[in-house]
Amino acid sequence: MNPTQAQLDACVTCGLCLPHCPTFRLTGDEVASPRGRIAAMGAIATGALPSDETYAEMMSFCLGCLACEAACPSLIPYGEMLVGAREQLAKDQPSLAGRLRRLLAGRILNMKWLLALVTSGIGILQKLRVVGFLPKRLRLMRGLRPLRVFPHSVLGVRDHTPAEPAGSVALLAGCVMDEWFPEVHDATRGVLQMAGFQVHSPERQQCCGALAAHEGAGEEARRMAQRNVSAFSGYDYVVADAAGCSAHLKEYNQWAEGGESVAERARDVTEFVAALIDRGLLPTFAEARGPVAMQDPCHLRHGQRITAAPRRLVRAAGYTPVEIDQDGLCCGAAGLYMVYEHETADELGASKAAEIQATGLTTVVSANPGCEIQLRSHLGKGYRIVHPIELYWESLS
Amino acid sequence: MTLVDDLQAILGPDRVLSHPLELLVYAKDAGVTPGEAVAAVLPETTQEVSACLRVAARHGVPVVARGTGTGLSGGAVPDEPALLVVMTRVDPAWEIDAASRCAWVGAGALNLDVSRGIEGLGMHFAPDPSSQAACTIGGNVGTNAGGPHCLAEGTTVVHVLGVEMVTASGDVVVLGSAAPDPIGLDLRGVVVGSEGTLGIVTRVLVKLTENPPAVRTLLLTFDSLRAAAATVSATIAAGIVPAALEMMDQPMVIAVEAFIHADLPVDAAAVLIAEVVGLDEGVDAEAATIERIAVEQGATSVRVAGDDAERELLWKARKNAFGAVAQAAPNYYLHDTVVPRTALADVVTQIYEIAERFELEMMNVFHAGDGNLHPLVAYDAREPGKAEQVQAAAEEMVRVSVAAGGSLTGEHGIGLEKRDLMGLVFSPVDLDAQARLRDAFDPDGLMNPGKILPRGARCYDYGMSALPESEPS
Ligand SMILES: Cc1cc2nc3c(=O)[nH]c(=O)nc-3n(C[C@H](O)[C@H](O)[C@H](O)COP(=O)(O)OP(=O)(O)OC[C@H]3O[C@@H](n4cnc5c(N)ncnc54)[C@H](O)[C@@H]3O)c2cc1C
Ligand code: SF4
Ligand code: SF4
Repeated sequence: MNPTQAQLDACVTCGLCLPHCPTFRLTGDEVASPRGRIAAMGAIATGALPSDETYAEMMSFCLGCLACEAACPSLIPYGEMLVGAREQLAKDQPSLAGRLRRLLAGRILNMKWLLALVTSGIGILQKLRVVGFLPKRLRLMRGLRPLRVFPHSVLGVRDHTPAEPAGSVALLAGCVMDEWFPEVHDATRGVLQMAGFQVHSPERQQCCGALAAHEGAGEEARRMAQRNVSAFSGYDYVVADAAGCSAHLKEYNQWAEGGESVAERARDVTEFVAALIDRGLLPTFAEARGPVAMQDPCHLRHGQRITAAPRRLVRAAGYTPVEIDQDGLCCGAAGLYMVYEHETADELGASKAAEIQATGLTTVVSANPGCEIQLRSHLGKGYRIVHPIELYWESLS
Repeated sequence: MTLVDDLQAILGPDRVLSHPLELLVYAKDAGVTPGEAVAAVLPETTQEVSACLRVAARHGVPVVARGTGTGLSGGAVPDEPALLVVMTRVDPAWEIDAASRCAWVGAGALNLDVSRGIEGLGMHFAPDPSSQAACTIGGNVGTNAGGPHCLAEGTTVVHVLGVEMVTASGDVVVLGSAAPDPIGLDLRGVVVGSEGTLGIVTRVLVKLTENPPAVRTLLLTFDSLRAAAATVSATIAAGIVPAALEMMDQPMVIAVEAFIHADLPVDAAAVLIAEVVGLDEGVDAEAATIERIAVEQGATSVRVAGDDAERELLWKARKNAFGAVAQAAPNYYLHDTVVPRTALADVVTQIYEIAERFELEMMNVFHAGDGNLHPLVAYDAREPGKAEQVQAAAEEMVRVSVAAGGSLTGEHGIGLEKRDLMGLVFSPVDLDAQARLRDAFDPDGLMNPGKILPRGARCYDYGMSALPESEPS
């Protein structure tokens, strides 16, 4: 699904997106810039040039961070174009590495039992303290929270229903969120219940499909989205507590029949709870707990244009948000990018870590699992990286 | 050895691009015309630039310097197949001399990064093109860039004290200096605005400007463009030189608002953004005067930015105007002419008439304060005959501006797109003098050939004597 002519035409080649693009900032090379990538997509889509390895590399080198999309005054639908180009590439140039990536994102992450097994395995490795010896490419292992050897899932959970619920919420369990970040789910459930919501995590749901979509595994992504449309029907809201997932749910209109029904009801937990706080349905605490560093996940800041909400939560929890960079450059996690383009990911991760270290703060707030892993793996010991909903829940309980 | 082999011997394989797809990506700047590069290189130091130019000279291949390619007139687009020297990575450690208020920065440094980098000193680099977040200092030098705040501060040429430049032969020269009154010919001034035709600038000695103690930014709305233009003239006539005075018409405001969501007045026929800087009392008095003048001229509302955030939002709106036009049509042609402020209202009216006559969709955004007009024509190049129509309208717009006592370009440079209109403002003798200067730097004509000067600008090209009466060829 190469980008359409209308999508390509949206780019007037003004170049205003260039300074916002992390890969352009690193290389200074138009080939690694949004404008360059769009030009390349255009050349392939129109058949002016053949889809070859150089093109594949160009598309693979993009983080999919959407900073360009947010910066583009011409409202370029870059994310959609990239995903389409990658899906087409998967067909035109099915490389082994690409197949593996799509297998991982499109299938393996959606296999509950396998993920649970892997989680236990990593949990054991962590206890044996051998994680630090893994190859660089698997740096992400160093960024995980301590995993449970006996994983448990939020799937199928139906929290006790208040007498007069303020509304019903379907909580997206997610793939790695469910296995690796159970504390975040707990906090989300706790806060939403306290606000009077009935919270379920419907059993028949799947991984949201964001990673699959970004890797060009379009078919799998569509299948997952379609299943979720039915799993989430009947709830007032669909809430995700991972920015990458909430961003993707909001685009379900592109991925499933009837997907707009999910897209309309989808909320990131930070915006949902911030709105509840603003309406006085949840309390705020005096800002006396000290400063914390704010890291904006790209799929929250650029993908959903949400920046105020996580800060609202942090303040309400009694902390003072401190900014670490003006532009919100990607930390380099970018889903599976940190595995397959690990050198670039490391460079970006290291500079983000340096910015955080420069503030002298040791608590970093991030609303996305990938970013959290990336930051922890680069910051190392002595830092706490936490989801804003966790901070808020701590203050509440 | 081929050109590419020789270049790779200097830069290694990764910083020499020659794959067709990579070159296609470099075929265009922010303007409309594409060109063809034989290779693109990404040097990092002055020495590497010099070595690349020597190789190019040896192979007899023309060279085109490129910053970030935000130029709007095809300056960084090869007119004939050329080696593109991409300057974005040429940014060695800056040498900041806070006491003398100047700094050597790399040509590849981004304009806004320079201002951000010296923020802590309470200073900034004054030229602030709307593209300032994206364009390079080298590109600013190349085009003598201006910006909203150049009304009071002057364009790039006023803010560049010296340049380090590599000439076509690969020699490195330093022109100008921090001295207040440098001796010798002012070759620095010649290089600013030369669009890479004299050499490639590698480092720039920029003047640092102190941040003003107080700023007031006003958003004025009008129900006619004429009233807005009249406010501009009356303000300047009242002896106020605002730091910036910018105008947008209704279609432009609507397009920008769709991107920025800044609560802009989308119903107004025209809006003016006026900014005054100075000491607290002074700016309040000036702001009050502008407000009074505007109301006299029929302003329908006046909004004063309450804080820095609102001020930044207004500027963000203004600075994203160009990009926002694509919401209207896939291609745009951006004009850039200057007219005397007193003629502003008349020329603007004529320009609207031209657009109407050619049935073109036009949006307007411009530096009203210095009479720098930027009518933008949004069109679809695939519509048969449309591009020619746009071009014809463009020429007419330039002609009415020049006829009103204006000039060919306010700030975007001549590049490819206005090259053949140079004869409108320069006599053959003038052009010949420019061509000879250029030859002095670049006798073999390898530096960005085909730019600025029309072909045959040299009278002797055609064996003609430099007779003022002769038609420009
Ligand atoms: C949205 C938008 C808004 C703009 N607003 C303004 C504005 O308000 N005011 C304004 O003046 N311009 C404006 N421009 C035009 C453009 O941004 C400026 O001309 C800018 O100075 C170009 O910088 P660049 O780095 O992109 O240079 P390029 O486009 O890459 O090059 C421009 C010219 O400079 C030459 N050049 C580049 N680097 C060097 C070097 N190191 N040594 C020698 N020559 C060099 C090139 O050969 C070329 O001729 C705008 C453009 C856009 C897209
Ligand atoms: S900002 Fe938008 S229109 Fe401009 S070059 Fe980037 S993608 Fe294209
Ligand atoms: S998605 Fe991110 S990395 Fe990719 S082009 Fe846009 S800004 Fe650059």
